Amino acid sequence: MNRTLPEMLHCLNSVGNLLAGNCTDMTVLDRQRARLKWQQEQLQQEEQQQQQDGYFNGSDQLNGIFFNPAQAGQFPGFQGLVGGVSVIGDTTANRPVKPDPSLENGWSELDRFEMSGIGFGSSATGLANGPGFQMTGAISRTSSSPPTVAPLTPEVKSRESFSPEKTSSAAGRESFKKRKADKVNNTKEDDSREKRAKGSAEEGDSKITEQNSPKNNNTNANNRESSADTSKENSKASEVQKPDYIHVRARRGQATDSHSLAERVRREKISERMKYLQDLVPGCNKITGKAGMLDEIINYVQSLQRQVEFLSMKLAAVNPRLDFNIDDLFAKEMFPACAGAGGFQTLGMSAEMSNSPYLQFNPAQQVVSCGGLEMGMNSHDMGLRRTISAPVSIPETFLDTSCYTQIQPPTTWDSELQNLYSTEFNQGRSSIPFSSQPFTGSIEASNLKMEM
Amino acid sequence: MTNSPKGFTLNNADSCRVKFARRFLRSLIEIKTRQTNYNNNLSSSPSSSSEIRRRSERIKLKAYSSMAHAVGPRKAWTRALLLKLHNRAKRHRFRTRKRSSLAMVLKKKRVFRVKNHANFYKPAAERGNYSVLNSDEKTEKLRELVPGGKAMDICSLLEETAHFIKCLAMQVQVMHEIADQLSN
Repeated sequence: MNRTLPEMLHCLNSVGNLLAGNCTDMTVLDRQRARLKWQQEQLQQEEQQQQQDGYFNGSDQLNGIFFNPAQAGQFPGFQGLVGGVSVIGDTTANRPVKPDPSLENGWSELDRFEMSGIGFGSSATGLANGPGFQMTGAISRTSSSPPTVAPLTPEVKSRESFSPEKTSSAAGRESFKKRKADKVNNTKEDDSREKRAKGSAEEGDSKITEQNSPKNNNTNANNRESSADTSKENSKASEVQKPDYIHVRARRGQATDSHSLAERVRREKISERMKYLQDLVPGCNKITGKAGMLDEIINYVQSLQRQVEFLSMKLAAVNPRLDFNIDDLFAKEMFPACAGAGGFQTLGMSAEMSNSPYLQFNPAQQVVSCGGLEMGMNSHDMGLRRTISAPVSIPETFLDTSCYTQIQPPTTWDSELQNLYSTEFNQGRSSIPFSSQPFTGSIEASNLKMEM
Repeated sequence: MTNSPKGFTLNNADSCRVKFARRFLRSLIEIKTRQTNYNNNLSSSPSSSSEIRRRSERIKLKAYSSMAHAVGPRKAWTRALLLKLHNRAKRHRFRTRKRSSLAMVLKKKRVFRVKNHANFYKPAAERGNYSVLNSDEKTEKLRELVPGGKAMDICSLLEETAHFIKCLAMQVQVMHEIADQLSN
């Protein structure tokens, strides 16, 4: 405890020197360095402090020392650091977190903990300024709603676990990347910071505990929007799903106002859907670009609708049989039954029971015409044993179209059927419906010849 | 050959398929029995081309309606399709009934209502609906193809299209198998 005071003083001095006067003069790099130093020191202290009981009193003293300058000078840096101190006080509440995330945790923890006698609420609201500015940006990013901070903290921890390990400035920059915006644009920063300074001053007057939460949300929203407006972000694009907000990173060198962000989200959704459609429509792997894809989709839908029309024509032309319903329903029952020999045999039995002249089903045949759902079919067996009992009176025009349209689909249907079938079906079976196509074409052609 | 147990679990696609197959078969039977009755009563030539065409149209509508019913009203396109079929059936019923004065009045009312909806049938760009992203011809065509597509934004249109394509493919497959069975 005694050791911490001089260290804190030293740290604060160093930062204060950098921050004294014009905070705007401090470059990003300097800020990062100071922060890193401070972080490291805090880390060392934190481990020791967790074991000490009287720490809280120590932080009290600290706050007593630094509270006045914080109030008087309105140095954002001090406020941020004091806020950091206040948060370290939280660590006694058995929250083993590192300082930087602890800042964020403390920010939310303040909602629950009464830090009344210390005025931590006020100092913590000072987090809105200075180097803490970036942190609130981070806070706004990570703590979407105060009550739900607890599940967020492990995520925050994992993200911030990188920061103390890296000591280089580049690494420090990377840790900043994980935070929200880097304030490159200084003038706009000034304005917004001044606004927030006033706002926090107002907030600082009241001893806030739970009142922080609605203001949290407000400042969060403000921070998010303004930082989106004012910052150029170097981070890669990443979309983090949170309970309340969908946080989208702007990519490097792209506009970051809320409109374009929303548009980007929308475009990503659309491209995701297009990719899904690409998987669905056969033969679309080579086509890139929305226009070509849309063309393919339209053609595919039109072809499917044409097929439906053709099949309905075919069904209309088929002569009605008396007992076809029983067999068909039986067959349909067997459809989802990806069964082995069991379904096989029942089908055979049903075929025998039907006794209709036209339904001369081999069990193999019936299964094949059921779309080959049964297992272990011999493909070469079935095609040859098609029996055509009665000539189907099909008008000539209808037949012409039928022959054409039937020959075309097989190529697409092969892949289609493979898509449609569930994975439990054999591979050999998928070839069976494919081979059934040309046969029906030839059969109907032969029918026509017979009729002529 | 894997021996799958008898107590299988139907996944979503399969149950959809079975439902569609059942409904479609039932409606097919109904149409066929109507055909046989008609043929028996009138003893005319079994199938003229116009008759076949009419019947095929009916079968096609039945196929779409059973598909929509099998999927259920949880998708936008099924709802739109069911609505369209329902309206069509109602209109058809009106047409086949005796032309009473009431029917004429209702018809006039219908025409009036159609006029109000004239804006709906224009392409989206003309309508002044500028929220529609890249409303070029292709998306317009897609909207025409997918039932209920006119009132959707492009994002949900693509989603509905994907589901619609899946269901269409399944429909085509089942119908093909039925046709194969019947023609054997």
